[in-house]
Amino acid sequence: MQSFQRFDKSTTLLIALLVVAFLLATFDVRSAGGGIGTTMREGAQTLFSPLQEVAAAVTRPVVGFIDALSDIASLREENDALRLENEELKTEVEQFASIQADLEHLMEINSLEAPEDLPTVTARIVSSGASTLDLVRFIDKGSNDGISVGDAVIDQRGLIGRVDDVFRNSARVRLIFDPNVTISVQDEVTSQTGLLTGDNDTLILRIFNAEEPVREGNVIVTAGSRFPPGIVVGTVKETAADDAGFGLDAEVVAAMNPTRLDYVKVIVGYSPLDAADDETEEPVTDELVEEPTEDTVGEADGNADGADSSGEEAP
Amino acid sequence: MRTRDVGISLALVILAVVAQTAVFGDGRINPWGASPAAVLVVVLACVRYLDPEPSLLLGFTAGMLLDLLGGAPLGLWAMAYTVSVYIALRFRSRADDGPVIVGLGVFLITLVAHSLFVIIGTLFGERFFTSTAVIKDTLLPALYNVVLAAVVFPIVSRLIGRRQRLGWST
Repeated sequence: MQSFQRFDKSTTLLIALLVVAFLLATFDVRSAGGGIGTTMREGAQTLFSPLQEVAAAVTRPVVGFIDALSDIASLREENDALRLENEELKTEVEQFASIQADLEHLMEINSLEAPEDLPTVTARIVSSGASTLDLVRFIDKGSNDGISVGDAVIDQRGLIGRVDDVFRNSARVRLIFDPNVTISVQDEVTSQTGLLTGDNDTLILRIFNAEEPVREGNVIVTAGSRFPPGIVVGTVKETAADDAGFGLDAEVVAAMNPTRLDYVKVIVGYSPLDAADDETEEPVTDELVEEPTEDTVGEADGNADGADSSGEEAP
Repeated sequence: MRTRDVGISLALVILAVVAQTAVFGDGRINPWGASPAAVLVVVLACVRYLDPEPSLLLGFTAGMLLDLLGGAPLGLWAMAYTVSVYIALRFRSRADDGPVIVGLGVFLITLVAHSLFVIIGTLFGERFFTSTAVIKDTLLPALYNVVLAAVVFPIVSRLIGRRQRLGWST
């Protein structure tokens, strides 16, 4: 009887609320972006979007000012680094012309379209996740504008992330920094393909059976399974080689800057099945056998928009 | 406590949620890569003056709104905030008056809330533990919240705390 009295009203309510929250979390994870969770999110987004837009507009100058303040401290260091980088880039530009010619030639052969040719929808970022653990952004365009789950989101710098939940007039974009996001990528210089996984602040490139090292400054682009091929994702931070024969891990500096996101473009109308069709015409390579996660799961599902598996592993 | 106080608390929480997602969220104002948990500060400030049951419901609602407007599975922030409010309720009457105690309380409860979010999130398949950034993302918000509490607590105190004080005084 005494132990029963310990559960006062607030403790009972706590337990009840925890049970409700636990059930909601379970349903949400199980439904994987559909069901009641999406309906509730859509309702909340509809209610809060106007308020968030107003708040973002009002505070934009303040946010910009604080950004500028934090930038001043790192400007000198950045200036020195840029000078050095400039010298290196001059050398690379000379090499780039021939690489670009090769790339264009390859694209012609494979009848691949450049990302620029795909239809896009321009959207504005209206809000972000609740904390820095929540690597998502919400945009002001949704299914009414043709956006669907799995669409790639880019800005002028490169790939930002993928649409992982769509509402009528808004959508949620999961950033490439999210550890749950894995992208099939290619080293533009060595043409080796691998998987790129988010690591909160940075990106980790993993290449199995790497035949040659990836060098600092090599540009990493999407390999064209879930996302259209050729979208810049980032550059290799430090040269890395597969010394032990277990694969190669390299840190990649993202091309996009999460603190500088404002307007973005959503690539619509690209289906991973397009890439799958292209791949069936080509002989199967070692990379395709080694990296089935990106290339085969969506096909097996018959899931054109990659709702469940586009670049993400299910929890 | 009156219904009016609950209404004001709810309005403050909604304002805080808007500020959190539009101003303080990832990629906005987040010095050293972390942002304050403004919503939790507002909830803790309100919990000082509300009865236990409305306090718990307020914490749950605040967490739920963050879940709905964020990217994590529904219910994670709700669980973390509900437990945090429960802890705050248990200690508010015992806490000595004074800004140091309040600051320490806010720091520890924010730390608990974020740690719970990370732990429960990991159980539900989120990959928070893949990076050392998780330590920064847990500790820094707690520190920022102490600073934010110095601004928020007096405001909430003026709005709903005139009649009733149950500890946590500034």
